[in-house]
Amino acid sequence: MSKKPTAGPALHKVIMVGSGGVGKSALTLQFMYDEFVEDYEPTKADSYRKKVVLDGEEVQIDILDTAGQEDYAAIRDNYFRSGEGFLCVFSITDDESFQATQEFREQILRVKNDESIPFLLVGNKCDLNDKRKVPLNECQQRAQLWSVPYVETSAKTRENVDKVFFDLMREIRSRKTEDSKATSGRAKDRCKKRRLKCTLLVFFDLIRDISSRKKQRQMDVKEPAKPSPCCQLL
Amino acid sequence: MLTIGTLANIKHILQKELFNVSTSGERLLSVVTVTKTFKKKDKRACYLCVVTTAPPVPVVSVCLVKQSEQRESEYKRKRSWLLDEIKWIDGRNEQFETHEFDIQLEKLYKWYALNLHERQNFLAVLNRQIQKFVRGPRAEFRNVPSAWLSEKSPEKIAAGRAGTGSVAQKPANTDDEEDEEEAQEFTALTDKEANELGKLFSECDFAIKDAEQFIEQLSRELHDLDGANMQSVLASEQKVLKMMEHIDSAITEADKFETRLDTYEDILGHVKETMEKIGGKNAMIEIANNNNIKLMKELNKVISQLDLPHSQQQALDDPDLKTPAGLKAAIAAAQCLQQAMNSDIDPALLRLEAVQDQRKRFEKWKQKFSAIVSRFMNNLFIHLGNESKTSTDLSLPNHSTVHRELAPYTELMHWTKAMDRKTYDGLMNVYTHSLKKIYVQDVKSFFNLAKMQVSEKLQSSREDLDMSSSSRKSAVSTIPYGTLGINREQWGPGVDSADRVRFDALLEKVLAELEPIALQEQLFCINFFQMDVISPTTKNTQTTLDMDKDKDKGMEMTQSFNSSTISPTSASSKGGGAAGVPQKRIDRQINEDVRKLMMGLFDCLEPELVSFIQSFERVDSFYSLYVLVRLTQHVMSAQDTHSFLSMTFASALVHVKRNFDRFMQQQLQSIKEAKLHKRSKAILPYVENFENFAQTAEGIFRNSDRRTDMEKWYLQLVNAIFEGISMHAQEHPKTPSQVVRMENYHHMYALLAQLKVPGLDALKKEAKSRYIDALKAYVTQYFGRPLEKLNQFFEGVQLKVAQGVKETEISYQMAFSKQELRKVISQYPAREVKKGLENLYKKVDKHLCEEENLLQVVWHAMQEEFIAQYNYLEERIQKCYAGAMINLEFNIQDILAFFSDIARSH
Repeated sequence: MSKKPTAGPALHKVIMVGSGGVGKSALTLQFMYDEFVEDYEPTKADSYRKKVVLDGEEVQIDILDTAGQEDYAAIRDNYFRSGEGFLCVFSITDDESFQATQEFREQILRVKNDESIPFLLVGNKCDLNDKRKVPLNECQQRAQLWSVPYVETSAKTRENVDKVFFDLMREIRSRKTEDSKATSGRAKDRCKKRRLKCTLLVFFDLIRDISSRKKQRQMDVKEPAKPSPCCQLL
Repeated sequence: MLTIGTLANIKHILQKELFNVSTSGERLLSVVTVTKTFKKKDKRACYLCVVTTAPPVPVVSVCLVKQSEQRESEYKRKRSWLLDEIKWIDGRNEQFETHEFDIQLEKLYKWYALNLHERQNFLAVLNRQIQKFVRGPRAEFRNVPSAWLSEKSPEKIAAGRAGTGSVAQKPANTDDEEDEEEAQEFTALTDKEANELGKLFSECDFAIKDAEQFIEQLSRELHDLDGANMQSVLASEQKVLKMMEHIDSAITEADKFETRLDTYEDILGHVKETMEKIGGKNAMIEIANNNNIKLMKELNKVISQLDLPHSQQQALDDPDLKTPAGLKAAIAAAQCLQQAMNSDIDPALLRLEAVQDQRKRFEKWKQKFSAIVSRFMNNLFIHLGNESKTSTDLSLPNHSTVHRELAPYTELMHWTKAMDRKTYDGLMNVYTHSLKKIYVQDVKSFFNLAKMQVSEKLQSSREDLDMSSSSRKSAVSTIPYGTLGINREQWGPGVDSADRVRFDALLEKVLAELEPIALQEQLFCINFFQMDVISPTTKNTQTTLDMDKDKDKGMEMTQSFNSSTISPTSASSKGGGAAGVPQKRIDRQINEDVRKLMMGLFDCLEPELVSFIQSFERVDSFYSLYVLVRLTQHVMSAQDTHSFLSMTFASALVHVKRNFDRFMQQQLQSIKEAKLHKRSKAILPYVENFENFAQTAEGIFRNSDRRTDMEKWYLQLVNAIFEGISMHAQEHPKTPSQVVRMENYHHMYALLAQLKVPGLDALKKEAKSRYIDALKAYVTQYFGRPLEKLNQFFEGVQLKVAQGVKETEISYQMAFSKQELRKVISQYPAREVKKGLENLYKKVDKHLCEEENLLQVVWHAMQEEFIAQYNYLEERIQKCYAGAMINLEFNIQDILAFFSDIARSH
């Protein structure tokens, strides 16, 4: 996926996802520069890099801070594709943002095509507990359902900010070592899997192509079958 | 007087005519001549009288009497009222000149008094009678002056005034009739007089009828009396003569007495003179005695002060300075000598030959002793100077042994300073020279060792490099380590942060070692050479025994003793001496002297220190940064800013600061002169290197007082970097300038955000905005327009619309007909568009570098841009070619699918 293997410290790519205004940028800036920016300005997309020491090992973390508001979800495909781990952020004071995590989760799984991608469900703004709209057990239930960790954070007080990034990096790292073992041990197996994936992707493309052509021919035709069922097929 | 007279007259007449005492027993008390005011025709006067009956029961009444018309001398009682009948009396007005008055009886009578005095008298008498006799309700007096109604009766006032008149009337009257009122007037006659008179009259009872006889008798008697008187006068003459004789004898007696007194006085005067003479003599004797005592005391003092015991003389002649006991004796003797030579002796006494002789003797002793001390100390210094120790450890040898050895001689040095300035100066020089040798050796070996350690440490950390300065010059690269404008690969050998910490510790150790040694030596010197006391005298020897004509000089020299040797005169003469010099100047002078001495001892310290620091700088160009911080710390923490060491450090600090500025200037220059090579990376070398630079600098300056110096340079450097980015973006061989700018500013922003230098906040914001601008510029320019011709077509349409063509009529224009549009649209089938997007993605991927990780950011922006263009074109088509059933050959779903495909394929 990357252009060339980088020499030096390991690089972990983290993507911040979640609805607009839940505090993705605030979490990122707090983690990066220890600062909390009060005034809200919607992010388009921005990238950060930092050298950190993860369990005694120097690593680099790339954080892609993304836009919460997007006209077309498909635009996100590209950066979801580039991510190795995801912090799915919602605000505990905003139920809608919590509901939106469902959509993000689905899109990520679809794009990454991987059920066990490193992923953390993050309930931000826990300093505003008195304005809580999303009950804690509901959050935990959802995390359990997805079998991902659930962490509540506050970008304002810096509570758990380092924790979510470091936990995610650990997951990414263990995932990578697992993968490399797999490539050495069951290289063929993985190759097969990959190939299967590729063929499926081609297949998927084909379906998409056909359907779009169909649509072009008959203007009033309904939308082609959504990609999600396709994924489920896979 | 006249009125009273007439009134009295009238009164008299009326009394006589009407109220005869003998007949009616009535008495007239007051009368007023009135007319009735209401009867204008009847102008004849009437008399209103107050009449009383005779005692024992007086009845007072008011009577109106009229003169009979026929005969002038006939008076008639017209009416009469009792006092009870009077209701009220109205005076009309309180003024004296009021004539009218009313009396209310059975009816109201209004009267006009002809005479004001009569009126007053009448009213007053009436009032008094009413007060006296009326029981029950009394008549009221209105508008009558209250004085008239007071106790003092108006008759009396009137009588007082008219006293002479009434008395004169009396004898003429010769009327025996004494009324009560009248008798009261004459109580002035005392009882005795009355008796005398009575007696006189009774004796001359006969004479009452015969006045002439009486007078005769009286004159006769007077004559008799005169004669008797003359006789008695004549009889007394003899007695007078006798008395005169007595007086004369008394006078002679008194004269005699006086002469006697005079002789006594003479005698007494003589005695007094004698007594005075005796007294004067006594005083003289006392003075002489006192003087003798004083002289004795003074002489005793002079002798005791100038006397030097034999044992001490011996100690001075042949001092044994080697043994402690001998030294002690010598010091004691020397101090005695000093004390003797500075004894408090009156300047006049100095002329005594004996004193001068003693002084000369003292001088001799002094010279001899001083020579011995000088020789001894000289040898000692040289001996000590030749002792040397070498240490292999990085520490300056402690010379406290030398100090300890010299300490017993401290007092001798003080003595020398006071007594033989030349020797003192000479000894000081010898000391400086001898000890200097030790210190030069110490300092040099110390610094050599320190330098060795620097290179050793380097060798241990990077064995492949020879650190000797000569071979360093021939090393692969001459570009100093850490130069911002040059790629890291081209840097000369540098040191890592761990080395820096070691160097810093080494420097700290060196400075810390220097401090106590220098301080110890300085303290010792101040104490040993008594440098904290200034002796402004130019004289070689301090003594009060010189026959110095110039008194001021003699006074001036004394003030420099410690409390043990201070003499009373010096205390008193201090005012004229150095006490007038302000303390600050004295301090400065002392500092100056001490510094000079220390400079002599440690003259190699500063060049060695500077060369030591330079050796660091050769090894690590960043060294100036932390040497600056470290030295500043030492200079600032030094309590005595004027001490030799502080001054040395300060001048080294100035040197280092200059180097620091030069280093920064070089960095600045290197940014400006940075050149791009063909294989340059997207991130410019100085942007990349700045991170390391800033982190190093922050590590050094974080908590230093020198932060502001660094921040000033940060500003300059960052500004230079920004300028450099803009400049070099144009020159970059492979990468488009927008990308260079975008990536470098993004990098700078991240760096500055991490650095958190408050002074660079504005530049951080600037970096961010420049980064965003560059991103926009890149997206618009390089995204270019994948639908170029469509865009051109609609730009033309837009132009027409702007010229006034209606949007719905555009399709009738030749150039913008539906056919034309279809033609253009057909050039962009979905497959082509997808390919174009894929190519673009590849191109962007190639442009961008891995480090900044901006691909997703840029691609995100490009996706949005493309969708925006698509939406714009669709909207134009719907507006201008509505109903023509014209559409682009792909729709938004296609575009999103393209994006997803691109995402999946990477």
